[in-house]
Amino acid sequence: MRPFDFLRDRDWRNAVLKDGFGVGFWVFVGVAVLAGLACYVLKGPEAFHHALVRDIELVFGLVPRVFVAVSIAAVIWFLLPRERLSGLVGKESGIRGLVVATLAGAVTPGGPASAYSLLTVLATSGADRGAAVAYITAWATLGLQRVLVWDVPFMGAEFAILRIMITIPLPIVAGLIARRLPLTLVVKDENEKQEEVDTNLHK
Amino acid sequence: MNIGFIVLLALLAGLIVIAVYKELDFGPILKRLFEQFIKLFPRMISALAAAGFIAELIPKEAISGYLGADAGLLALPVAAVTGLMVPAGPVIAFAIAAIFAKSGASTAALVTFITSWSVFAAHRIMIYELPLLGGSFLRLRVSSVLVIPFLAGGLAFLVGLVFSFGGAVPMN
Repeated sequence: MRPFDFLRDRDWRNAVLKDGFGVGFWVFVGVAVLAGLACYVLKGPEAFHHALVRDIELVFGLVPRVFVAVSIAAVIWFLLPRERLSGLVGKESGIRGLVVATLAGAVTPGGPASAYSLLTVLATSGADRGAAVAYITAWATLGLQRVLVWDVPFMGAEFAILRIMITIPLPIVAGLIARRLPLTLVVKDENEKQEEVDTNLHK
Repeated sequence: MNIGFIVLLALLAGLIVIAVYKELDFGPILKRLFEQFIKLFPRMISALAAAGFIAELIPKEAISGYLGADAGLLALPVAAVTGLMVPAGPVIAFAIAAIFAKSGASTAALVTFITSWSVFAAHRIMIYELPLLGGSFLRLRVSSVLVIPFLAGGLAFLVGLVFSFGGAVPMN
């Protein structure tokens, strides 16, 4: 089988396109049009133009990064030893699992495309709900790359250090809360249909 | 090309080498890549356009009046709600934080604002979280991190009572 054979599968193509241009996409188009109109009316054409140019620049800057990030997650998806991962950050991993997840989140390089793609891999490979929440919270609040590129230059080193020191325990707190909340979690994954991940915990 | 992108490229190259070495089949990998990319890309463009306009509409100057040291702990909920409303990446969020810092926002308020933006960033939820992980994960995560911005801001407030460390020095 040649690597690109799946592209010839008409059903697959239709399903993927339907997924990409689904309801969510059109909702955002609607919101974008409304917000754009509001911007034009309330803030004037200049602000509208400014926002539009910035949006377009952002999209062009983001496309290659998202593509690379999703590629990384796709390779990791097939490389990762799932059994070992669930031992490390699975349901029985306790506080140690939350600490590991927090560290992993803090060192994950790149923007949301890579962090969320990896989170999807984690959540569908046996990481428990607490570890998943701790991981993404740590990436969002403590991401080292973020701190160096944004916090330090924009707000100064002293503020960045204070914010980091304060924030270090918080992803673990979030993970502990997530483990105790009586909510059902069903992580969707297109490869294995809807996978029930964590329903036994609160029976 | 910035450093982050170079790190990602190097990481990808390393992973591909490992995958080749382990003789993985690249067909399924490419299939998953295409599926995930097409799932993200259209939403990304439309959500970013919406986010840019909404960020433009936020009344930054009016809000910064409520974030000063004299507002005390009352500044925290205002900062948390403002952070929640910034549906944009770090460029815009930190630019807004710098505006707040320049107009005298307290350190606790700034910590709350940045933490609230980082855990709730609405554009990230719409572009990545909902399509990749679904609504039940979003519900669980948001319920779990609801207190985090207030904890961060509260801790910064307590630190501020004892030490004078951590003041922001905003860019120009």
